[in-house]
Amino acid sequence: MVKELTTPITKEDIEGLQVGDTVTISGPILCGRDAVLPKVVKMAENGTVDELGVSLEGQVVFHTAVSPAGVGPTSSNKLEIESSIGPLSKAGIRLHLGKGALHKETIEALDTYGSVYAVIPPVTALLGEKTLEQKTVAFPEEGMEALHMLMVDRYPAIIAAAHGRSIYD
Amino acid sequence: MTNFDYDKTVALVADTLVRAGSTFKEDKKEAYRRAIAAERNEKAKWVLETVLENAEAAEKNRSPLCDDTGIPHLVLEVGPDAAVSGRMLAAIRQGVAEGLRKLPGRPMGIMGDDSHRIDQSGGLDPDSAGVLPAPILVRETEENVIRLHILMFGGGPAIRGRTYRVFHRHNTQMVLDEIVNWSRQMVSELGCSPCTLAVGIGRSHFEAASMMLQAQVDGDFNVQSEMEAEITRRVNEADVGPLGLHGDTSVLATFMKVGPQRASGVRIVCVRPACCFEPRIASVEL
Repeated sequence: MVKELTTPITKEDIEGLQVGDTVTISGPILCGRDAVLPKVVKMAENGTVDELGVSLEGQVVFHTAVSPAGVGPTSSNKLEIESSIGPLSKAGIRLHLGKGALHKETIEALDTYGSVYAVIPPVTALLGEKTLEQKTVAFPEEGMEALHMLMVDRYPAIIAAAHGRSIYD
Repeated sequence: MTNFDYDKTVALVADTLVRAGSTFKEDKKEAYRRAIAAERNEKAKWVLETVLENAEAAEKNRSPLCDDTGIPHLVLEVGPDAAVSGRMLAAIRQGVAEGLRKLPGRPMGIMGDDSHRIDQSGGLDPDSAGVLPAPILVRETEENVIRLHILMFGGGPAIRGRTYRVFHRHNTQMVLDEIVNWSRQMVSELGCSPCTLAVGIGRSHFEAASMMLQAQVDGDFNVQSEMEAEITRRVNEADVGPLGLHGDTSVLATFMKVGPQRASGVRIVCVRPACCFEPRIASVEL
């Protein structure tokens, strides 16, 4: 059975998710990758994240660029992306969406802060049909790697790490 | 071929690049259908079905299969009586640029001097055509044609691929074992599987990489040599599965090309774990 998630995602939503669950994600979601996520982490750590103008609580971060070619997951285990997962979970991000196996420490951090990690197939053409709106939120100088927000309708994903467990084990 | 028309060549090349970035060849579609039918893991089957559904949507819309639209790699085949001029190469280059704008390619070309391009401080070129193609590989063909193959190389396989020496100890199995060992690691690290393993074996890094490129041009998912089938089978036994979610289908096929070799205990082997959309390839006679 497919579990339908809509942002903002609640802690109750997270408690009901298990590794291997197939989900859909709808609503506004954030997008960022190597260049911008460390900057958002820094803002969260120095208490200036409100300047983004969006609440991180219950949000999704999709590890992708946003370009005229569309969207699709980049590897979440790249250094600058994976190192953002713990701090951004602490700041309120409930679901990190990308691809690839994460390290044990990251899976523990997700559990500590009540967040999960899901993988999404790199199906740009299908995701284009499910992306309703997009806008740049911050750091426009990063171009396709800026912090973006998408309005999405039923992005497909599989829960890959939750409650200290990983589908890659 | 004899009546070179600059504008027509530009248009043909642009259209071919769009096909390469948006279309699965029929043998690849068949390979996916076979894999879906054989896959026993439900999550893996779901991924395979979704990738094939994506390919159908991309072909219908002539839109990118993947947002990493890739770096154009070109192979030019030249027949015995054919002549390639500088103007034809310029038309090919312009056709690639126009194809990238039309696809549209992801604008990910980095601007600036050598140092700026290394550390990405020169900024991104907002023009999709700022992604310049890799150097053209030219090879002979017995057919009396000029044929261009365009392949779009994504970043993930480039991160995980490897070109390195293997001591063969006068036993082919030693080389196959090493290819399998490398590939198991590569496939487990690559997020976008199932892979097609592209393998080149040569006398230098350049030659091995060029064999790897040609293996993708010549490869057919319906035709597998014994060595290719063995590599595929053994990597699939690792149970990595599509997107790393476990399953029978880590690898759809292996495309291997073995070049001339030298008297030596060493072979230079290039392996690229081509992602679930690769080879993204289309061909045209100019």
